Amino acid sequence: MRVELAKKMRIDEAKAYVAEKLGVEVSELNDVSVMREVRNDLNIGEPNARPENAFGLIAKARIAKLLDIKIPSVEKFRGMIDAEF
Amino acid sequence: MTRDELIKAAYDAVCAYEEEKALEIAHQSVEAGIAESDMLGEGYGAGIRHLGDLFERGEVFLPELVVASEIMQNVAAYYESRMTQKPKRPGKIVLSTVEGDVHDIGKGIVAAMMKSQGYEIIDLGRDRSAADIVAAAVDNGADFIGTSALLTTTMPEQKKIEAIMKKEGLKGKIKTIVGGAPITQRWADRIHADIYAEDANAAIHKVAAMMSA
Amino acid sequence: MAEEKKYFTRYGDGYSTYMTKDEIKKDVERGVEDAASRGKIDPLTEAEKSYIVDIITMPAKMASVEPGKEVVLSSDEGTLKASVRCGVSIDRTTAVAVEERILCMDSAELAHIDYSYKPIKPIIFDEVCAMQHAELNSIIPLFYGAMPNLGLYTKPDGPYDNWAELLPAGKVAEAREAQEKAAEQAAKDIVSVADHMVEAGADALNMDTVGASGDADALAAFTAMKEIHRKYPDFPVEMGMAGEFFLGMHGKLTFEGEQLAGMYPHEQVKIAEKAGATIFGPTINTNSSETFAWNLARTCTFIKACSEESTIPIHPNVGMGVCSMCLTDSVPLDAASRADKAIVEIGRADGL
Repeated sequence: MRVELAKKMRIDEAKAYVAEKLGVEVSELNDVSVMREVRNDLNIGEPNARPENAFGLIAKARIAKLLDIKIPSVEKFRGMIDAEF
Repeated sequence: MTRDELIKAAYDAVCAYEEEKALEIAHQSVEAGIAESDMLGEGYGAGIRHLGDLFERGEVFLPELVVASEIMQNVAAYYESRMTQKPKRPGKIVLSTVEGDVHDIGKGIVAAMMKSQGYEIIDLGRDRSAADIVAAAVDNGADFIGTSALLTTTMPEQKKIEAIMKKEGLKGKIKTIVGGAPITQRWADRIHADIYAEDANAAIHKVAAMMSA
Repeated sequence: MAEEKKYFTRYGDGYSTYMTKDEIKKDVERGVEDAASRGKIDPLTEAEKSYIVDIITMPAKMASVEPGKEVVLSSDEGTLKASVRCGVSIDRTTAVAVEERILCMDSAELAHIDYSYKPIKPIIFDEVCAMQHAELNSIIPLFYGAMPNLGLYTKPDGPYDNWAELLPAGKVAEAREAQEKAAEQAAKDIVSVADHMVEAGADALNMDTVGASGDADALAAFTAMKEIHRKYPDFPVEMGMAGEFFLGMHGKLTFEGEQLAGMYPHEQVKIAEKAGATIFGPTINTNSSETFAWNLARTCTFIKACSEESTIPIHPNVGMGVCSMCLTDSVPLDAASRADKAIVEIGRADGL
């Protein structure tokens, strides 16, 4: 979904893009056992809350970096953090 | 022109939105002694119904339908002016969307189409209570109550109307027409409504059939 | 002679029925023909029609896409469904968390109870704060959504005369003028809300139920879309349609030289692309009185044509009463899952 939004990519192209960036097969994107490990290893958030896990905006910022896309909320809050006093 | 040619010309004039031509053909049909009911039913009326079908497919738009409907009304007025006795209007219909439902586009289309067929329309607008709708029908001596509900949450308002009608002893005296996206024949049967109309054309056909029954 | 086997299926209003395979085939055929004839588009192939019959008659209660054909989900009015529709007392930020962490949705939408751009304007600063809080706490893409809802600009809810009443009264010019004014104002309101949502850091905007009040409603949305895209080229916007064609309440309105009234999804998507939309949401009306087979075949024919024309992702609206989903408050799983499968595999949707 992020890549559809950021790059207007159709679903097959978007899935291939994400799979390449995450280093998984396209078929694994929908495999919860694989993706739980991937999400955990990359620390990009998981449905189940765990200590040390990135959540919310932190996870989103890591996803933007990993997928090399712009996420409006990440850009917005980064701008607020970096703003001059 | 022969009878069939005049009927065809009347149909074509309505479909081409040509009022002058439509009135000229009406004049010719009177001179030729052709029954106005044939001209209105098989010619002009059939043209309107054809446009209604095209509207339902997105090929004709509401303003055009309104123009055609006005042509039909003016032609009917011309025939009326030639008669010594004023013809009886086919019926009086109270229309409204039900309480809680502001979706009035479909109801507006039904109003325009029914008017073109000579019915007197009392349009109550949108979001009117069941009690108000029934009261308006009684006050105006209406033959029909037509209600539209677009939402599943507002459908029960049509049932309320039936309950009031039954309680007030109006069932059978004033007929009810129900329509709207979630409405089906099954729903109409379930609440004991008299007519289920899938669209404006169906309303015209079914009301006419009930009037002539 | 043994009685021919009958399969459990439904009507468009969700009412259950049993049909033979032959009856289902005939309704699939009729549905395809109806869509092809109305939209002036190619019918489905024989293999595709046969596949729809297979999907409808498969023995499992619930259907699913083949592995590898999974798509993503966007939703409208997401944060209102728990609190407003279902009466569960949770605030909107919690509703977003429920969508993300419990329902595992691919995206969520923050929305106000009025769900129209016009009434949001006076409370926009509250909405901006709500969006910022929700964005801070969510990972999935978060949309802000509402409808153009041109009806709200007509009396007694707005300043302009109601064209749905003017037209039956024969006041065509007045009805057209009222629609033009309402569309102009609505476009400004949508852009104004978008300005604030960009400022809030919303991940995307959703213009939902576009065209609900006819072609002027669509004009308002496309005009706003073009302006939003001009101002914020990277800001994603999904445009979801209200029905399968733009009802000609005006009839003469154009966008980029194209007449809007009577446009079907394969034409609508091209206008959405020109305006700068990111995702297009086609909608096919469910006919309550026709069978699920008829509705599904018709939907797939329209959606496939739209997908073939599109260069942007399409997310057909498969909610209550549209895209062959039954018009019931609680959508039956058998029909809903079959519709999803067919729309993705035959309609070639990028999401739902």
